[in-house]
Amino acid sequence: MSILAYNGGCVVAMRGKDCVAIATDHRFGVQAQTIDTDFEKVHQVAPKMFLGLVGLQTDILTVRERLAFRKKLYEIRENREMTPKVFSSMLSNFLYERRFGPYFIEPVIAGLDPKTSEPFICNMDLIGCPNVPDDFVVAGTCGEQLYGMCETLWKPDLEPDQLFEVISQSMINAFDRDAISGWGASVYIIEKDKITVKKLKTRMD
Amino acid sequence: MALQEICGLSDAPYMKSRTHFLKSTEEEMKNSTSNIENCYSLSAPPFENPMQNLNAIQQHGEKSGIKIDFDHGTTTLGFKYQGGVLLAVDSRATGGQFIGSQSMKKIVEINDYMLGTLAGGAADCVYWDRVLTQECRLHELRNKERISVAAASKIMANIAHEFKGMGLSMGMMLAGYDKRGPGLYYVDNDAQRTPGNVFSVGSGSIYAFGVLDSGYRWDLTDEEAQELGRRAIYHATFRDAYSGGIVRVYQVTKDGWINISNTDCMELHYKYAEEKK
Amino acid sequence: METVIGIRGPDFVMLAADCVQASSIVVMKSDHNKIHKIADKIAMATIGDAGDSNQFTEFISKNLALYKMRNGYELSPKAAAHFTRRNLADYLRSRTPYQVNMFLGGFDDKEGPELHFIDYLANAKSLPFGAQGYGGYFSASILDRYYHDKLTEAESYEILKKCVAEIQKRLIVNLKNFNVVVIDKNGIKNLEPITSVKLDAAIAAAQGAQGVRAH
Repeated sequence: MSILAYNGGCVVAMRGKDCVAIATDHRFGVQAQTIDTDFEKVHQVAPKMFLGLVGLQTDILTVRERLAFRKKLYEIRENREMTPKVFSSMLSNFLYERRFGPYFIEPVIAGLDPKTSEPFICNMDLIGCPNVPDDFVVAGTCGEQLYGMCETLWKPDLEPDQLFEVISQSMINAFDRDAISGWGASVYIIEKDKITVKKLKTRMD
Repeated sequence: MALQEICGLSDAPYMKSRTHFLKSTEEEMKNSTSNIENCYSLSAPPFENPMQNLNAIQQHGEKSGIKIDFDHGTTTLGFKYQGGVLLAVDSRATGGQFIGSQSMKKIVEINDYMLGTLAGGAADCVYWDRVLTQECRLHELRNKERISVAAASKIMANIAHEFKGMGLSMGMMLAGYDKRGPGLYYVDNDAQRTPGNVFSVGSGSIYAFGVLDSGYRWDLTDEEAQELGRRAIYHATFRDAYSGGIVRVYQVTKDGWINISNTDCMELHYKYAEEKK
Repeated sequence: METVIGIRGPDFVMLAADCVQASSIVVMKSDHNKIHKIADKIAMATIGDAGDSNQFTEFISKNLALYKMRNGYELSPKAAAHFTRRNLADYLRSRTPYQVNMFLGGFDDKEGPELHFIDYLANAKSLPFGAQGYGGYFSASILDRYYHDKLTEAESYEILKKCVAEIQKRLIVNLKNFNVVVIDKNGIKNLEPITSVKLDAAIAAAQGAQGVRAH
């Protein structure tokens, strides 16, 4: 079994019309055993930016802490807020530092530019190769299933409530075909003037 | 004769009598459908000395990706109590971490008085349970009485022993009612066979045992027994990634088996969560 | 082969750990304490590689003591768990990783009881209840089944007894005795150990009261 699938879990992010959405499952497991069902892999790193990390839980925690440190340092030095684009460059740089002994994580970034409110989504491999598409990004143990769901349900210029429906259905139906993801899910919808968080009722097996 | 051989005529079908023609076709048919006539005659592995080489091939498969071992994701349980035998199983079938099915039937109805559960390689269990069904029926026709659970499980153990070391993967329970009363046997691919009061088999069994042992008594009522079985499987599906889907509960009494319930895990989870509040 | 269990109630945390110290196939000791007091209201139940568990807990507890001397106040349980995890994570990617799994239980005067799961990969999670080691597999569903939000100390001890009984019934390894510790607003207190002798006596007494049945 791959070390990236040791703890299980998945994250997906999507672009909509002037908004982005990011969703995470809740499982924290050790191989086949589910230890807890309230581990959110998505974190708010700025008022309009979320970072999702899946993979080995120990590295999720470490990377999250180290990134927070680097981001604060940047903001103190530059005295301005970090844009999602800059954040993804920083993350890419950070991950490549460990090119020969990587952190076993796959990151997903979703956010709006603090000034222009331009939607931004991005994912990377574990050593920081960025991918910035204009539809959706996925990561985690049910990546294949998520791609299938997203390819069929997503279309351009979805409104926030439509985007919520699309991302929720994609997530739930993808992890229902994966043994080590699921056990609850959260969805974050990021719009220019508000952020909506919703918890999904899902299968618990 | 020599001329015939040179011309290659001897094997030509039109040179043979009609009866001979039928015979050779029959032969050919038999060879390509061996396990229709005799279900124990399976084609030999495509390599010599399977007892040793199969393991080597499976180990190599980890690296090459050509794997012929199966996943063992399942939770099944069975116990005897004053009202008979109770069986409960989940319904998830996995291949690696991928969920292939959420509605698999892991209890096989062998006859009106006997049930078998399956865990391990799905194809192995289904095939041999079907063979067992046939053997049980033949026993009934030959002896004018139903086969005992002990005898049926012995047939299964003999099959397992015949193919031991060839890579079969089975962990099954046989539950039934015969003239000796309720019967519950465990049989696996090592040809281990043992009667008992409480069994659980599969990757989720460790979780099912926890709930089962702490709630089991001989004098459970029917309702209590059904609920205990259902709960034990539910808790296993919650903790074990490779168990899930529908919780099926069966009961065997002196009048034969009955299917008590088939409940979705999701429904059970939210019902039990509500009860805790 | 070892086992640790942790339960967080509304106003306390309870930790239990087996008492076996084994070397290859030999049981060297069956009254070995694996629950260490690492601050006034923080305890750590550690299992893992023989030398590592003692070395690591001592390393953490001495650093917590040093922190208290330098700053004049103690680290909160959450901070202590964070410190522990971080050290374990740093050692994981060194040449000498610690092979330890643990539960860190503590009582914070402001935030109440806390229970943290930490394993040898430095996976860490705050939990309401949990179990690690081989016995953890058998305890997990019992904890799921009997845990509820308004658990009292006595109920929690009863759940632990059920877990230990199950471990002794199903686990192939012989774990006779379990030490139990409870941490609440008054500090750390040792409870009566759960032993196979006492569990057997309780079962015998219960059967005696009901009249032993044939089956």
